[in-house]
Amino acid sequence: MAEGTVERVEEELGDVTRGEFGHALEPAPGLLPGELRPHPSPFKYVVIAVILVTVTALEVAVSYTEGDIPDGLIVTLLLIMAIIKFSTVAAYYMHLQTDRPIFRRFFVLGVLAACTLYAIVLASLSVFN
Amino acid sequence: MATIEQTTEVGGPPATAGGHGHDPHATATGVTNTKLAMWLFLSSDCLFFGAFIAAYLLYRGRADQAGPSPKEIFDIPFTSATSFILLMSSLTMVLALAAIPRGDHRRFKIWVLSTALLGATFIAGQIFEFTEFSREGLHVDTSLFGSSFFILTGFHGAHVTIGIVWLLSLWGLSMQKRLPTAQAERVEVAGLYWHFVDVVWIVIFTVIYLVPQPGR
Repeated sequence: MAEGTVERVEEELGDVTRGEFGHALEPAPGLLPGELRPHPSPFKYVVIAVILVTVTALEVAVSYTEGDIPDGLIVTLLLIMAIIKFSTVAAYYMHLQTDRPIFRRFFVLGVLAACTLYAIVLASLSVFN
Repeated sequence: MATIEQTTEVGGPPATAGGHGHDPHATATGVTNTKLAMWLFLSSDCLFFGAFIAAYLLYRGRADQAGPSPKEIFDIPFTSATSFILLMSSLTMVLALAAIPRGDHRRFKIWVLSTALLGATFIAGQIFEFTEFSREGLHVDTSLFGSSFFILTGFHGAHVTIGIVWLLSLWGLSMQKRLPTAQAERVEVAGLYWHFVDVVWIVIFTVIYLVPQPGR
């Protein structure tokens, strides 16, 4: 490849990078590298912990309703609450909400790949029947 | 959040893209290699845990298995307590991370040590649980349920143990004043790993312990 072409490609890649992360390359004063917005305050972290504990308590309570309400409803409620807890920890404690989108994309890709792959495997083995 | 000194070229990759001055190499993406590598590792680890969870779901409901069934041996109140401990360790971890950019090393040391101790308590609970299950006749080779359960929760426990060692090493560095504010990213990466261990347990706790068990 000609030298001029290499330089042009590098320049174009730079443009793409700046388009994707433009403002992130210039972190505002007070931000850590990789942050788009400041991380939550310690007080907010405590509030999130209280929410997580409350949802966990609800989960345990729902699991004790077995026999009183249909199993399908119990499973649905438990999965919804687990997703809420998972997303809350990932968004706030792992800072996916305030950090650059590239981290979120990688993680979501891994989670979705795992869920899709194993859902197909389990469905093909009739586990959900 | 305290200001972190950094040099950034406007319109180009940051001059200290490694973050906090310990990695002078700029990256094309503008994100630090260490943090990106950790996210990629966590992303791939989802597939690892997914495989073990899928295996458990596949084998737990088999009717023709020797040994006790999940309902007979699971102690939900006890596991709920250990889950609460692991959740609280995520809070202390994030408080440790919040302390270090402020230069508050005293609080950092307290929170990071608390996190390691909470993690150790969780592991102690898991060892107790495994011992109880063993006493009640469920071993790793008793049944497919036993194998898939012990391998899944043991794999998670190994992750927690590695995390504890990592956190204690950070605490040790801080005690020796070898963890300056400029290296906050080292704490952040350890924190990402620790929170991942927590989110995986959120899934395990729900899917393995709480979801109604078939074929009892």
